[in-house]
Amino acid sequence: MTSDNMREFLRGIGDQLPLQLGVVPFGLVFGVLGIASGLSPLQTILMSSIVFGGASQVVFAQLWATGTSPLIVGSSVAVINLRHMLYSAAVAKYLRPLSLRWRIILGYLLTDEAFAISIKRFETTDRPELAHYHLLGSGLTLWVCWQIATVVGVLAGATIPDELNLGFAIPLTFMALVLPNLHRLSDIAAATSAALVALFGQALPWNAWIVAAAVVGITVGGILSHWEDRA
Amino acid sequence: MIWIVMILTGLANFAVRFSMFSGLRASTLPDWAERYLRYVPTAVLSAIIAAALFLDEAGDIQMWNTTVLAGLLAAIIAILTRSVIFTIITGLGVLWIIG
Repeated sequence: MTSDNMREFLRGIGDQLPLQLGVVPFGLVFGVLGIASGLSPLQTILMSSIVFGGASQVVFAQLWATGTSPLIVGSSVAVINLRHMLYSAAVAKYLRPLSLRWRIILGYLLTDEAFAISIKRFETTDRPELAHYHLLGSGLTLWVCWQIATVVGVLAGATIPDELNLGFAIPLTFMALVLPNLHRLSDIAAATSAALVALFGQALPWNAWIVAAAVVGITVGGILSHWEDRA
Repeated sequence: MIWIVMILTGLANFAVRFSMFSGLRASTLPDWAERYLRYVPTAVLSAIIAAALFLDEAGDIQMWNTTVLAGLLAAIIAILTRSVIFTIITGLGVLWIIG
């Protein structure tokens, strides 16, 4: 690494660190929850590097625990992760010139937080040809914190009483991410319709409510946004 | 079995993240895809939030209990502060104090 690359890498780490205030508690709770859902410690810990996505892992563990068919577990997680296609498209023009090895590593590390931090760097730096080191730094920082938090959560899980309802921290985290960003009618309609399908779709077979709620919410939001943009 | 599903899920996640700079296909999304994909987080996370707040252990809808109250107060804090930590503290705090 040249010193310019190194500086960019370190900057990525520094920019990502403040976000770990939200990531680490989530990872801890996932560790606790994985064990509570009946996964083994090894399964819980390795899921954090194999699946590597907060909401995905929680949904995976909870659906798996209720005996949901693998196909529904897989499609529920897939629909949750579709959003990453947006991130992938947004960084594509910067990453396309890189070697395959770089692109594979950065693809693996492209999480919500890493994207949120590093896309700003790509768009504002006067040397965008170095900014992949920024993404590497911010992506790796999140990855390392996520793995450590999961392991600590798994180890601590056995000593944390169920009455603390730590699992409730997960929907609370999502509330902090979603609610402040419901600006347009289409956002509110997408959220409300998905919530209603989730509640009234519990009777759907095979635990298909997450997929159903997602499809309805995305469709409602998308259609309304057409109409909003024309108005 | 769980290992196979986990690995396939992980590969699918990676494929989505890698897709637009894989070099295998066009690296831009059509406008309609971008428009609809923007609503994925809102829809998915709202579904998970609603289920956690309003469903009891039997899967029945509960419109008013300590979980709903804790969630409502946390929602206000979430909107006012945008802070994950303050939202968690509020929600869990309410649950622990009156739960």
